[in-house]
Amino acid sequence: MQAHFAELGALINQISGFIYPNEIELQWSILIVIYPYLTGLVAGAFILASLEKVFNVKELQPTYRLALLCALSFLIVAPMPLQAHLGHPERSLEMFLTPNGNSAMAMFGFVYMWYLMLVLLLEIWFDFRADMVRWSQEARGIKRFFYSALALGSKDISEEAVAFDHKAVYTITLIGIPSAFILHGYVGFIFGSIKANPWWSSVLIPIVFLFSAIVSGIAMILLIYYVSSLVRGQQPKMPCMDKLASFLLYALILDFSLESLDFIHRLYESEESIHILSELIVSKLFLSLTIVQILLGTILPLLLLAFGRYSRLPAELKRIIYVLSAMLIQVGIFSTRWNVVIGGQLFSKSLRGLTAYKLEIGGQEGLITAIGFLILPFLIFLLLIKILPPWEDEKETVPAAIEA
Amino acid sequence: MKKLNLSIGKVPDQAVRIGAVFLIGIGSMVVLRQRFIPESFGELGHYRANAIPVVAGAPLHYAGWQTCGACHQDELDKKLEGFHRTLSCETCHGPAYEHAVVDPTATTPTVPRGRETCLTCHGYLPSRPTGFPQIIELQHNPMEPCIKCHNPHNPATEEETPACSGCHGQIARTKAISHHSLLACETCHVTPAEHKENPRQYLPKKPTNREFCGQCHGEGTPTSGTLLGVDLSARDIPKVDVETHGNTYLCWQCHYPHFPEGK
Repeated sequence: MQAHFAELGALINQISGFIYPNEIELQWSILIVIYPYLTGLVAGAFILASLEKVFNVKELQPTYRLALLCALSFLIVAPMPLQAHLGHPERSLEMFLTPNGNSAMAMFGFVYMWYLMLVLLLEIWFDFRADMVRWSQEARGIKRFFYSALALGSKDISEEAVAFDHKAVYTITLIGIPSAFILHGYVGFIFGSIKANPWWSSVLIPIVFLFSAIVSGIAMILLIYYVSSLVRGQQPKMPCMDKLASFLLYALILDFSLESLDFIHRLYESEESIHILSELIVSKLFLSLTIVQILLGTILPLLLLAFGRYSRLPAELKRIIYVLSAMLIQVGIFSTRWNVVIGGQLFSKSLRGLTAYKLEIGGQEGLITAIGFLILPFLIFLLLIKILPPWEDEKETVPAAIEA
Repeated sequence: MKKLNLSIGKVPDQAVRIGAVFLIGIGSMVVLRQRFIPESFGELGHYRANAIPVVAGAPLHYAGWQTCGACHQDELDKKLEGFHRTLSCETCHGPAYEHAVVDPTATTPTVPRGRETCLTCHGYLPSRPTGFPQIIELQHNPMEPCIKCHNPHNPATEEETPACSGCHGQIARTKAISHHSLLACETCHVTPAEHKENPRQYLPKKPTNREFCGQCHGEGTPTSGTLLGVDLSARDIPKVDVETHGNTYLCWQCHYPHFPEGK
């Protein structure tokens, strides 16, 4: 405890103006930054997958299953940083037993469960069921039992049964689109409804969150599709990459317009908080907001994507531009989450001073834990694609990893 | 292996299977809720009503000021007349259930005699209301225990008008070692009586002309006798031509009157 206070004491020099004594230590750490980042990736990836199923965008066919599995891996990890942030994580389960309808945070548990159980898992199950039945029939031993259990013992792969699966997937996707909107819109709502905090309290926040989620999800699928194609020794399909880049560009334009609208609106309204928020933007958040989020994470990829998409460049160069833009966008969206969560706690409720955030390296809410939570979804994703290979060309063969 | 077809009417086999999984999930949730939700949950609000008797059964530490009054009636009466009337005795003396209820001789409540306890509430903090009595520890009679002047049971001092040094201790200590040490504060500062009650609204005056300092420091002024309450004999008072010295500035714009020899 003494050491903790000594560390807090070191922050005194970085405080400017007047802050209340309980504002020196930020209560929501980097883990709370990761939570909306991961949830956004889930919603974005799912919305991209729905483009293929519901809106019949054929070029995106190779990314459909990748997007579903990717969404599932991120969704599994999304609540983990929240749990790690709690002193008694086991108590969080009580919100399922005794739900409190007045608490937006408590009700998120149900939004999450709805999306996980009734949308994502169900859609993946129906989409992979025929394959799982086929793999169980072709395999022997434990593997046969494993796939049979995954398929819940169903054996029917007749034309009618598969047609039913397709219909089910279509219906679930239809329900899934508004659900994905709710999932991430809800995360934005939790922040946007905190009326005591002028940096968060805005009706536009859920919408801005939603569009930034779509941007980050599409960018992540573009990266995963590109890397997985390279790893499998295949050329990424250019029409698919082009389509991904187009959608990414449209979503980015919408996202940037909404964020600018929010910014201009705040500036024109000029409420009493505007002075401290302006000071926040030009001092504590200058690097992460102006440079990383706006310049490197939005304007630069916007220009790169527009240039890459509508110029006559060789396919290889185009791909590099797309991948570079997608990487910049990931960094940009992560800073967006950082600027919202950390930025909202850097100014005093007195609107007279600014505090600082001290990121620990180790510890329960430190940098290493945060990096762990960012790597974990990819490990889960690797495991999922071993169990349920999403590749079109391998649909007929039994997954090699399970064979071994 | 024989196929087991679970289809019901037009609902195909796989839909029945996944439906069964969901039914099992919902069923387990119902069972879990019955098993784990405490019986009295929700009776009085969104919590376990039986938690109240549990908390009420916890060991007591505080006796309450009424219990203290049974033996210490004089102190309690004094406290109830003063500004500390809303404070409980145990706020300063610590939890005293053992002493007040169980055995008065077994333990003795603490008696804070230093400055720390008082400063918890009366140390200056900008976020405290302006009318609330606050002091800057280094300026307000430093090192002196508060109880030397204030009775904690009725903290208003008997002195109706505190000395200037009560609030302006730093200035008073500087002046005490300067050539102006024998001058009273009121010699130079005309101070409205209300200043001591409402210091920010009624400010003391400062000299507004050079002639004021010139009473002692002007050329041709007396060098013996008594002036402004100070015996001038054996004092080497610097004299200047008040008309020409230092252009049109007021004296205190260049010389710090509480320590005029300082550069």
